[in-house]
Amino acid sequence: MEIINALAVGTLFALGIFQILRRNLIRSIIGVILLGNAVNLFLLASGAYNGLVPAYTTEIGTRSDALPQALILTAIVISMGGMAFVLSMLYIISGRYQTSDMDEVSHLKH
Amino acid sequence: MDTVALPILLPLAGASIALLLRKHPRLRAYGALFTMVASLLFTGWLYRNVLNTGQALTFNAGGWPAPFGITLILDPLSGIFILMAQSVMVMALIYTLGSRAAVINYPSFYTLFLTLATGLTGTFLTGDLFNLFVFAELLVISGTMLAALSDHAYGTEAAFKYFYISLLASIFMLLGIGGLYASYGTLNLADLANRIAVQGPQLLFLPAMALLLVTFMIKGAIFPFHFWQPDLYMTSTTPVAAVLAAVVSKLGVYGILRISTLFLPGQVNIFQPMLLLLGLIGVIYGGFSAIGTHDLKRMLAYSSMAQIGFIVIAIAWGTAESLTAAVVYSFNHSLIKAALIMLAGYVASRTSQKSSSFARLTGTGQAVPIAGILFFIASLALAGIPLTNGFISKMLLFGSGIAAGEYWSLLLLGIASILTLIYTMRALMRIWWQKADQGDSQTSTGDSLLAPVLLLCLIVMLGIYADPLVSAGLHAADWLLEPSAYISAVIGE
Repeated sequence: MEIINALAVGTLFALGIFQILRRNLIRSIIGVILLGNAVNLFLLASGAYNGLVPAYTTEIGTRSDALPQALILTAIVISMGGMAFVLSMLYIISGRYQTSDMDEVSHLKH
Repeated sequence: MDTVALPILLPLAGASIALLLRKHPRLRAYGALFTMVASLLFTGWLYRNVLNTGQALTFNAGGWPAPFGITLILDPLSGIFILMAQSVMVMALIYTLGSRAAVINYPSFYTLFLTLATGLTGTFLTGDLFNLFVFAELLVISGTMLAALSDHAYGTEAAFKYFYISLLASIFMLLGIGGLYASYGTLNLADLANRIAVQGPQLLFLPAMALLLVTFMIKGAIFPFHFWQPDLYMTSTTPVAAVLAAVVSKLGVYGILRISTLFLPGQVNIFQPMLLLLGLIGVIYGGFSAIGTHDLKRMLAYSSMAQIGFIVIAIAWGTAESLTAAVVYSFNHSLIKAALIMLAGYVASRTSQKSSSFARLTGTGQAVPIAGILFFIASLALAGIPLTNGFISKMLLFGSGIAAGEYWSLLLLGIASILTLIYTMRALMRIWWQKADQGDSQTSTGDSLLAPVLLLCLIVMLGIYADPLVSAGLHAADWLLEPSAYISAVIGE
């Protein structure tokens, strides 16, 4: 299970970094989403696989750590808010500048 | 002590109430001001208690004991930063009340302003790394929305750049937090410091620290991560630009101060030369960029980058005197920069285009010589001329540099101070000395001058009677160099 998770984190990270380096605005936002999910999986790996018994039961054995899951939940909610906001700004920008090329959204240079 | 949470809860409650007052703009504005003033007075009272007793005030949210629950801690360092943030925000609200910009009439303006205050106070007050991330996100989202609510035609573009960078920064911060949690199994700052000291650096420790440092550098617009900053300050509304430039960028300074003293005392020879190099490049590069730019607010943004470079250099020296200088410098710079940006906004509000570019502003100051005098005093404070608070912070900084024997850095800092004088005086000459071009009309009414006048009174007052601020800075530096005091204040013995 840990191997699969590690591979998934690595793949998502590579894809995300590749996408945020693209010039297309929408692709780069998709890259940010992928990176966010990669980080969430990484958080899951940071403690959830230490034990295999659920956190709040009377079973005997090493307890699984519940904190990373709480962190991920918070991070997902926050990134949802951030994504909604960034996409709405993207909508305004693509309407106003009539482009989806990042290099053309630079009217402030002068 | 439960009252420690109030500096966060007051602005948050004010923000929710401001949402309900859609139909009452005056009530909303004065209510927001009242909330911020109440929060500021309350923080001042708490901070007095901290200084008098020498004990940090802590609060465990929900009654969970320290390493497990979320801890809020008001110690000599966070107290002075909250005081700084909230006083500048009060001044920005006073400026907003007298401002004629269209965007401040948006129903959500004051709500966003108060959530920005909540986020900023929370990041300074929290003792938990993940909680710091949450408050930083709140701060970034409300700050971006305020910046996007701009009269400037390209305000959305600047806000988009800022938010995109901040989103990436927060993803990498989360990665650093995950790395620390995987290595040490805790996210409480005090508990982490304790375990790092006991267990030594684990495999993921240095990468996680690098990620956190980079995150704070992005928040503070420190040299290689400054590129979003000039656009943002140029386009946002004046009170928002003042808050963003003066205090939100200090979050980076605070974060670096905190993690360098709590987590990195064993890695001093890695991160101190790096901070010193980045600070020096920032000081010189920011100074020259400020000289070369075409817009008054943009000039102040580059100047902000240079001034934060001074603070970073003081942190890099790492002695008790230089940390005192860093804290005092942060406080004084926030007042000076807020005053300068408000004055820039004041003259820009009197042009017909509401633009702050030098081409539009040339000669517009001649109708308002009083603003010119204020701008002159604030520029002297920025350059560090006696009788202003800027002199006190420069004196502490150079004194600590001489004590540390850093003569080459001091030489560059001296050059950078001269650059400061060059660009502020050039702006002064163009706006208040030169004759206006023919055909450029200007309006006879503009924003109110009350807030910059109050800020300048503070600047001169703290320049003449600097003792309370300097002794508070000394307290903070002693506290920073004694991480065991922080750890025992949070976890107990």
